[in-house]
Amino acid sequence: MNPTTRPIYLDHAATTPVRPEVAEAMAPALAEDFGNPSSGHAWGRRARRRLEEARAALAAALGVRPDEVVFTRGGTESDNLAVLGRVRHDLARAVPPHVVTSAVEHPAVLEAAGRAAREGAAHTVVGFDAGVLDLDALEAALRTRPSLVSCMWVNNETGLVLPIAEIGAACRRHGIPLHSDAVQAVGKLPVGRGNAAVDLLTVTGHKIYGPKGTGALVARDFRTLRPLHFGGGQERGLRPGTEDVAGAAGLAEAVRLAVAEAPAEAARLGALRDEVEAGLLSRIPGARVNAGGLRRAPHILSLGIPEADSDTLLAALDASGVAASGGSACASGSNAPSRTLAALDPEDGAASLRLSFGRLTRGRDATRIVRTVAEAVERTRALAAS
Amino acid sequence: MNGSPGGRRILVAMSGGVDSSVAAAMLVEAGHDVVGATMKTFCYGGDAAESRKTCCGLEGIRDARTVADRLEIPHYVFDVEKEFARDVIDDFVAEYGRGRTPNPCVRCNSNTKFRDLLRRGQVLGCDGVASGHYVRLDRGAGTPRLLRGADRSKDQSYFLWGLPADLLGLLHFPLGNLTKAEVRARARGLGLVTADKPESQEICFVPTGDYRDLLAGRLPTTHPALSPGAIVDPRGRVLGRHGGYSGFTVGQRKGIGGGRSERYHVLEIRPETREVVVGPRHLLEVAGVVVGDLNWLAPPPEPGRNLRVQVRYRSPALACTVEALRREEVELSFLEPARAVAPGQSGVFFDGERVVGGGRVRRVRGARR
Repeated sequence: MNPTTRPIYLDHAATTPVRPEVAEAMAPALAEDFGNPSSGHAWGRRARRRLEEARAALAAALGVRPDEVVFTRGGTESDNLAVLGRVRHDLARAVPPHVVTSAVEHPAVLEAAGRAAREGAAHTVVGFDAGVLDLDALEAALRTRPSLVSCMWVNNETGLVLPIAEIGAACRRHGIPLHSDAVQAVGKLPVGRGNAAVDLLTVTGHKIYGPKGTGALVARDFRTLRPLHFGGGQERGLRPGTEDVAGAAGLAEAVRLAVAEAPAEAARLGALRDEVEAGLLSRIPGARVNAGGLRRAPHILSLGIPEADSDTLLAALDASGVAASGGSACASGSNAPSRTLAALDPEDGAASLRLSFGRLTRGRDATRIVRTVAEAVERTRALAAS
Repeated sequence: MNGSPGGRRILVAMSGGVDSSVAAAMLVEAGHDVVGATMKTFCYGGDAAESRKTCCGLEGIRDARTVADRLEIPHYVFDVEKEFARDVIDDFVAEYGRGRTPNPCVRCNSNTKFRDLLRRGQVLGCDGVASGHYVRLDRGAGTPRLLRGADRSKDQSYFLWGLPADLLGLLHFPLGNLTKAEVRARARGLGLVTADKPESQEICFVPTGDYRDLLAGRLPTTHPALSPGAIVDPRGRVLGRHGGYSGFTVGQRKGIGGGRSERYHVLEIRPETREVVVGPRHLLEVAGVVVGDLNWLAPPPEPGRNLRVQVRYRSPALACTVEALRREEVELSFLEPARAVAPGQSGVFFDGERVVGGGRVRRVRGARR
């Protein structure tokens, strides 16, 4: 039980450590070029230059123009701004707002849509059929001319890849803007606003070895958004507050590296994931892959494990030195029944286990991962049966 | 398996309050390998982010986590909502529906909390479960004896009579010899965030603080317990009307309309006629009580034996004689008349400091009316 061997971190979908190159990119803006980018003096100019360099680097990595990037303080802010900012824009013009989301969005989108609904917006949720987004329902929703469609690129709980190109094409046909939360896609799939019909894109730093509390909203047209914060007018007035220059530099460097390394890292993680997946399926009777048989991002393995309890399984894994999660990190610390899994497979009552791989996972860890997880499942199942 | 010399691996139930925080700290100090656990018993529902309501469930979890982090012990949250709803909340609602006054904490301790934590603890390699209850466990030879807490004003043995006897030996109650003041002082000394947290008196699954809100949400609106009925005196004269007998508890004084009712107490609830019987205080006296749903933590007393029975939290145990002992229930007569015995409440049997067992009050005997 005592983890005498090196603990294994399998929760990269929750967050990742800052990589050295990123820390290095941030350092000059912390102490040396510490100025306020809004200041007119030399210190301000140096900070402003760093900020705009970061913006340009981020834009280049994503194939967009620098003036299409607004820095925020994270993925949640970007999602909130895309959804609620758009709704408030419509409300201000006395246009009845209407938000369309998939059923498996992150709470940062779903709760923002819920808030929008309380402010007078309609909210249509597009469901799934056997794990496949109901494109007919999307089409029907588009015909009502909604304000915005929001659909994540990669689902954080299962790794399911949403058909963004098709969704984007449908939105484009109807002239409806599409927002996509791509925080789990950057660095794993070719993501960019440039190569898909996405009008608004959420990125964050901490999922890709950048600093926490950093993010950006990439948008084709910021004029259709209203701010959620109020202050000194920074970031086009959409995210006022003195800019986090070091954070922006770190985010930009993290995105740059993630995009550059994506093909090789995705292949490595995919192979590792496949090995762990095959091993666990053979060792754990009844285990199933959530979103199995569908297109999945390479870094997430989500398993449905019948006759086991998620909370106990994760505690047992932690006690064995393996950090995993039940689906997503929830504030309560418990593993609340997943909306995503309910949407993908309403019949399922199994415990869910999410293993997410990344730079801290080595190829030779696979055997140990399989053994440790399988043993923890056995112990947990013995409890359920007792 | 043991993490430290001489120590055991123990799972501590941490509610996020000061008591369980200190219990965890004391076990750590004693050299045990401690794992913290908080049970998520109830979802406060709705949109926590939106309502901004302090959600005691989440707050408790957060505080427990903070304390565990400070003590450098792991902490896990176990979702037991389903089991808790089935074993505790459903029973609570049904009991009020029957015109009785339940003790949900007893149900939770008896059926849910300890058993569940022991099972989960096994998976984590723990061989015992601890809690911050103010009771003592005497582990001398033979069966462990559950004793009242040293701090009589905090003693919680009343809530623990339902513990499965075979599990007693696996439990730990580190606070049993301390007073509340000592516990708070320790918490402050350790710099625990929970040191000055106010005492929680509320039922954990009644976020509004009024259990009638919960009943209204869980019983059909046409249920007799929520339907108007008559307030009558012991002779059957109608004194007024009430909005549902589930709002009453035997012994209570408030809530009875009308001018002269000031001194009136609820004597009885009659679910079949929806009547609430009220009368002057002396009519609350009863000669005996029948306690059912029994659990024994010591050999059951023979008929004719004297022992003490406590029928309310924070009230003295009353001397009584065992009139009859059946498999299902025990019949007791008080040596001196007792007042305000509410069916549904726990009747806990004591031999001196020791908890002999307990059950639920089924009915009273020899009421003066």
